Amino acid sequence: MPIVEPSLVEVQRTERLDLEGIDVSGDWNTFLRSRVAVDLDVKILDWVKGHPQGDTISRCWQCGTCTAGCCMHTDYGLQEFNPRYFIYLAQIGYEEELRRYADTVWRCVSCNKCVERCPKGVKVEEVVHTIGSYLIASGLAPESPADRFDRAYTENLLRHGILDEADLFRTYERLEGRKTPARQILRMGLTLLRSGRLHTGPFAHRARRWAQMRSVLRAQLARDARCPAPTGAADRTVAAEGGGVR
Amino acid sequence: MNPVLVLGGGPAGLSAAGELASLGAPTILVEREGYLGGNPKRWHYSLLAPDLRPTEEVMDPLLGKIEGNSRIELRLSTTLAKAEPVEKGYRVTLRSAGALEERDVSSVIVATGFDHFDSRRKFEYGYGRYPDVLDFKEIEIMLHEDRVLRPSDGKPPKRMAWILCVGSRDVQVGNPWCCRMGCVVSIKQAVEVRRKHPEIDAYVYYMDIRTYGLWEDLYWKSMQEYGVKFVRGRIGQITLAEGGSRLMATGEDTILSRPTEVPFDMIILASGMEPSAGTKEVATLFGLSVGPEGFLTPRISDLNPVDSGVPGLFFAGAATGPKAIPDAITEGMGAALRAFQYARD
Ligand code: SF4
Ligand code: SF4
Ligand code: SF4
Repeated sequence: MPIVEPSLVEVQRTERLDLEGIDVSGDWNTFLRSRVAVDLDVKILDWVKGHPQGDTISRCWQCGTCTAGCCMHTDYGLQEFNPRYFIYLAQIGYEEELRRYADTVWRCVSCNKCVERCPKGVKVEEVVHTIGSYLIASGLAPESPADRFDRAYTENLLRHGILDEADLFRTYERLEGRKTPARQILRMGLTLLRSGRLHTGPFAHRARRWAQMRSVLRAQLARDARCPAPTGAADRTVAAEGGGVR
Repeated sequence: MNPVLVLGGGPAGLSAAGELASLGAPTILVEREGYLGGNPKRWHYSLLAPDLRPTEEVMDPLLGKIEGNSRIELRLSTTLAKAEPVEKGYRVTLRSAGALEERDVSSVIVATGFDHFDSRRKFEYGYGRYPDVLDFKEIEIMLHEDRVLRPSDGKPPKRMAWILCVGSRDVQVGNPWCCRMGCVVSIKQAVEVRRKHPEIDAYVYYMDIRTYGLWEDLYWKSMQEYGVKFVRGRIGQITLAEGGSRLMATGEDTILSRPTEVPFDMIILASGMEPSAGTKEVATLFGLSVGPEGFLTPRISDLNPVDSGVPGLFFAGAATGPKAIPDAITEGMGAALRAFQYARD
């Protein structure tokens, strides 16, 4: 029997093993650890469905059209990235398997080919992102630099009403615990300023009456995040993570 | 008694007209095309699923009852231009070759049927662009004449695929319904191919196999006796492969959870059923309610599928939804009886 999944093989060397008088000592690593699905959790589906971008998940009937055309899966060849399979795992609530893809699930490039083709009108791209959000929100996936950037970006927009690049840069540096050398920052800043792409300080655009808009947006974000609480989400909620806007 | 008007010369309409004549009712049979027989004739259906009976064995007796029947006034290449309800029945205007003619009829049977889905609308499958991508409209005549050859180079294929649910169960083309016959007909076609040409490999790409009731038998036989292979997954796109000489079906084998890119020599699309142009016209002329799918809706379909709810107007066949030939024939009989009762009373 071929070993198809090396990570599942446990090396078990038994020096002396006697089974009813027969010596069966040796390497036991040619056996696959059984992977019986023992715990299905409907909360995952509820969470994704309750999310404003995940509500089409229950339309999926697992035809595989999305995966068939997916840039990541087929063109780029990242077989691990399988939107149909992620949806299936979320639908049946197989969390143990789903968390193995906590990283891969974010490889979607949002080409939307899947959405264009899905015969059931599943917003696959949004649903896949929501499944990723679930994994983060329930503490099953480490927050990636991209998540932190998303968070900084959202906060930046909420604060200024329009992107303030310098502020975004500062916040993100802080979140990453990174320090870019001053000379490099200066060089970058000047280039951006000259090309008219830097809007900060005296050059900042202003969004008029932003405070009012901001309070509306914040209220909406809080409402959006009012999905059923994810399992195991201790201190991190979607709202706090800005996950509700993803 | 004023004649009963039957609209449509497919299996349902032929059956209705034949029954009316044998009940002694004068009948006008109107058909838009210049021939009788509907889709089975138009596309030269080969064998019928599930018993692999030649289509002629079903259509010829139906046609035989019509031709030369003195009670039936046959009006080919004719359409309905106008219909007004009168005290009993309708005053209708028939149009043939530009000429209009007014007639009083005692009741009307709508048997305007379906059209096969235009597979060009599923552009990612390349129908109409790649000559070796065919659908039900072309493969049946090939099977009928036993010349299953690639239109591109006239050579026999080595490996063929069927893609189910094309233009059915698909909100992208606006057709959420199941065509009811695509599975069994595709399987039947694969069996026909394998029976005569066991050297051709046959693969069926499916999401679900709906060979309901006794049709299941053919599905089993196709695997057990004819070696037809089934892959669970819906093909995402068809492109050219091997320098344009073959077709490449890209999909996900959802059981393997892997992409599949398999070259084929011919691919058959199981093109579904849509309400025909005639069905849509009739709905407008009589002001009938149609369902969200565009098919005519009987008053209570569970109770009496041929009863339109409008006095003197009856339905038969695929005008009310995808239907197999025997069901259309049965409904034709039911509608004939109802129309006769209405006309007589
Ligand atoms: S294409 Fe749509 S229905 Fe099919 S597996 Fe993907 S999401 Fe589900
Ligand atoms: S949007 Fe994402 S999931 Fe959909 S096809 Fe593109 S990469 Fe794949
Ligand atoms: S009968 Fe089969 S091919 Fe036709 S729509 Fe239904 S499942 Fe698809």
